[in-house]
Amino acid sequence: MTVTVLPPGAGEVAAGTTRAALRRNFWRGVWRVLCRKPSRMAGVVIVVGFAVMGVVGPLLYPANLPRDDNALYAAPSLQHPFGTDFEGTDVLALVVTGARYVLLTGLATAVITVALGTAIGLFAGFRRGGWDTALMRLTDLNLAIPGLPLLLVLSTVWKFTSPLSMGLVLGLLGWGGVARAVRSQTLSLRERGFIEAARGLGLPTTHIIGRELLPSMAPYIAMNMLIAVTGAVYAQVGLFFLGVLPFDANNWGVMLNLAVFSGGALTTPAALPYLLAPLIAILLLTLGIVLIVDAMDEIFNPRLREE
Amino acid sequence: MKLLAAIAALASIATATACGSAGTESSGQGGIYTTIDGSKQINASAPINPFNPVGSVFDGYNGMALAWPKNDPIDPNQFYPAIARSWDVSPDQSAVVIHLQPDARWSDGKPVTSEDVRVSIGLAYTQGGTAYAIDPKAAGAAASIQVVDPKTIRITQGANKSNMFLSNLLSTDIVPAHVFGQLLPADFWQKLKVAQTGKGPAADRDKNVITGLADKVIAFSPPHDVSAGPFVLERVNPGAALLTRNPYFYDRRLIVPDKVEMLNYSGNEQIWNYLIAGKLDNAPFTSVPSAVLDRIRQVRGSKVISGFSPVSTSLAFNQAHKPYDNVHVRRALAYLINRAQVTKIASPEGGTASETTSGIHAAAAKVWLGQAFNGLDPYRLDPAKAAAELKAAGMTRRGGKWALPDGKPWTVQIHVPAAFSDWVSAAKSISSQLTDHGIDATVVTSADYTLYLTELAAGKYDVGFWLMGLGPSPYNIFQRLFGQANGWQMFGGRLEHVAPGTQGNWMGGPEKVAVAGPDGTTTVDPGELTSRLGYASQDEQKKIVAVLARTANQQLPVIQLWDYVNTQFVNTSRYTGFPPDDDQSLRLSSGVWMQLGMIRKRQA
Repeated sequence: MTVTVLPPGAGEVAAGTTRAALRRNFWRGVWRVLCRKPSRMAGVVIVVGFAVMGVVGPLLYPANLPRDDNALYAAPSLQHPFGTDFEGTDVLALVVTGARYVLLTGLATAVITVALGTAIGLFAGFRRGGWDTALMRLTDLNLAIPGLPLLLVLSTVWKFTSPLSMGLVLGLLGWGGVARAVRSQTLSLRERGFIEAARGLGLPTTHIIGRELLPSMAPYIAMNMLIAVTGAVYAQVGLFFLGVLPFDANNWGVMLNLAVFSGGALTTPAALPYLLAPLIAILLLTLGIVLIVDAMDEIFNPRLREE
Repeated sequence: MKLLAAIAALASIATATACGSAGTESSGQGGIYTTIDGSKQINASAPINPFNPVGSVFDGYNGMALAWPKNDPIDPNQFYPAIARSWDVSPDQSAVVIHLQPDARWSDGKPVTSEDVRVSIGLAYTQGGTAYAIDPKAAGAAASIQVVDPKTIRITQGANKSNMFLSNLLSTDIVPAHVFGQLLPADFWQKLKVAQTGKGPAADRDKNVITGLADKVIAFSPPHDVSAGPFVLERVNPGAALLTRNPYFYDRRLIVPDKVEMLNYSGNEQIWNYLIAGKLDNAPFTSVPSAVLDRIRQVRGSKVISGFSPVSTSLAFNQAHKPYDNVHVRRALAYLINRAQVTKIASPEGGTASETTSGIHAAAAKVWLGQAFNGLDPYRLDPAKAAAELKAAGMTRRGGKWALPDGKPWTVQIHVPAAFSDWVSAAKSISSQLTDHGIDATVVTSADYTLYLTELAAGKYDVGFWLMGLGPSPYNIFQRLFGQANGWQMFGGRLEHVAPGTQGNWMGGPEKVAVAGPDGTTTVDPGELTSRLGYASQDEQKKIVAVLARTANQQLPVIQLWDYVNTQFVNTSRYTGFPPDDDQSLRLSSGVWMQLGMIRKRQA
């Protein structure tokens, strides 16, 4: 029998090296998965494109977008690829400068939805008993709240001028589904051998939840987060479309509202580009997210890898 | 996703509603006349009751008044006969004798009598207001109702006279006494007399009994329609109401269509689609974008009729809020708003840019003021004058932006109800124009019009859109500027000015203002002058209107933006004989046009 004696500290160095190697391998795997289907790369390009649009977009245009009084609802041209709106403002410029509010709301909603849903689901599933019962009734209550009517009522007293306030409300209304799913997964995982072993070793609950349970559910949570972004985009654009939220000419929902109700875009083609531009933006953003979710499914689920 | 699903569900309900109709109908030679009611949407569960705001009673078809108002720019007492064939009025409007149509009958064959009018007036008392106020000191309240014979009724006005008495009286909805009479207690008229003339607890008790009947009257649902109009309601569903000809209508020879189908709608775009599909024989005023109007014009037989509409849109100020208490600020904003541009963007087909702010629609203002109209400041776009006014108000300009006198940033928040797309576009155009001239401006929408009016009345807004010029009565016109919303209210027949921010006074203007005129500057109480318009002679009215127009022009409680044009849509492929442009019947329904003998079947 050979016994290898490591010098003091060598174990920690080895562990660090192993973790770095794992990280490198993970990102290499991600790259491979993305490259396997061009559609996935397209998804990444789209989402990165929107992120850049949200960050840099408003800087590309003057604070007050130029108007052309003689070109109201102008047809698409090289100068105005999606035509102009009721004031003669370039529709593309409106879509680009309006992306920030939509994306920030989506991001805030997704973070709150996932953070709350995961925390409550994990805690309820791991603790079980009275905590589980209480938290799941709270979840049921959340799931039972009719979101649209509540938001319509809230909009009469709260003006939602900031994307964070909009995201906060949408997030607080939307965490129920995530909490329920995470709880189910936790109930299943906590009976598995590795959790039993961790408990047997006397590891603290925070370690078991944070280091053992959470990583196993990370793929599911990450995918939920991306899907929550699309849900938030639909919800806020829908509310702006209904005209119950504050007017902002470059908000995509307001653009849809004005195109339909002021411009008659569903009746005549004159205002159709004004309607299509925000619609295409929403569709592209959703498509990008769906394509990335497809890649994530394979990244986190080794059984789906085609190697 | 849950929200999206709900929004999608709402959209599908709207689509389903749009597709509804009263069913396949066969008709005789007169055919089916298809239209919409511009004043309300159809509610299939609403009672057939004109006192109910959503009731299935349609003016001019199965709903009849004593007479129909003409679209006169300045005289509110011009009427077409309806249930009343004629009327005699004493010069001071203290007594009106109404002669009913001798052949008028209800759709069940019973004659229309003075008793029907008396019961209708009794029911109107339960709803309060106008000529039927229980308070005898109220201006223009009726004092006595006397049935002279089965076809003649005499109504006298109380001591506090109003020029609107005849107009309010003739606008009374007439319902059958043998259907609605059961709503009034047997001793109703005694109770009314005690409530009006008595004092103490007995009078209060009877007053409460009468006003307590209001809800019962509104909720009353007759089992079937009994109409004195040219049509009777046959059935109603969420998509449409179907009315058939009333065989007993007094002028039935003038009525051509056998049936009328009243389509429901959930928004303007649905009306546009009806018109493009050539479904409607007539649609009353509907806001239409230029491109949609062009499309409607291309439809076979489609025609647009336009005429006077005594309504204007304005940007109103809350003068209790700084800096809008300063007239120089209001004038500066007036000099910075290009009204022609705003109108071109917001209401290109349904409005004309206001020539100035006079408080009155330009067409009526020119009649009332004559040459004096040209003497009003037109407030043409003039940034230099605006800068001078802002400096006079103590505003400061830093880095190209105007700030408040104390150096704090200034943002003009323009409030509009979200559902009014023309107002939203106009508000955005104004905010862009002000921003171009260094004044930060934003648009804030309210979820619905009721909420908007509630918040406006509560004084929550600095600046908001406001309908004005609601003629033809000069009293009604200037009530919008110097009435309850600006602090002037009647208490027990006495006019008082209440403090800004209380009792609905959201405009917050001063009680007395200095106004420059041809004879120098004088101090006027615009609310008191407006109140006098209610009972002054026509010559006096002209003088008062001139002063009030100058007051509105110089003080600018509002900036008049555009005057509406009554744009009506008709289709001549099935029926002809529609009124021409600027006709005095243009603001009335097709049902009234039929009563006036206008609508004829198109000959093949």
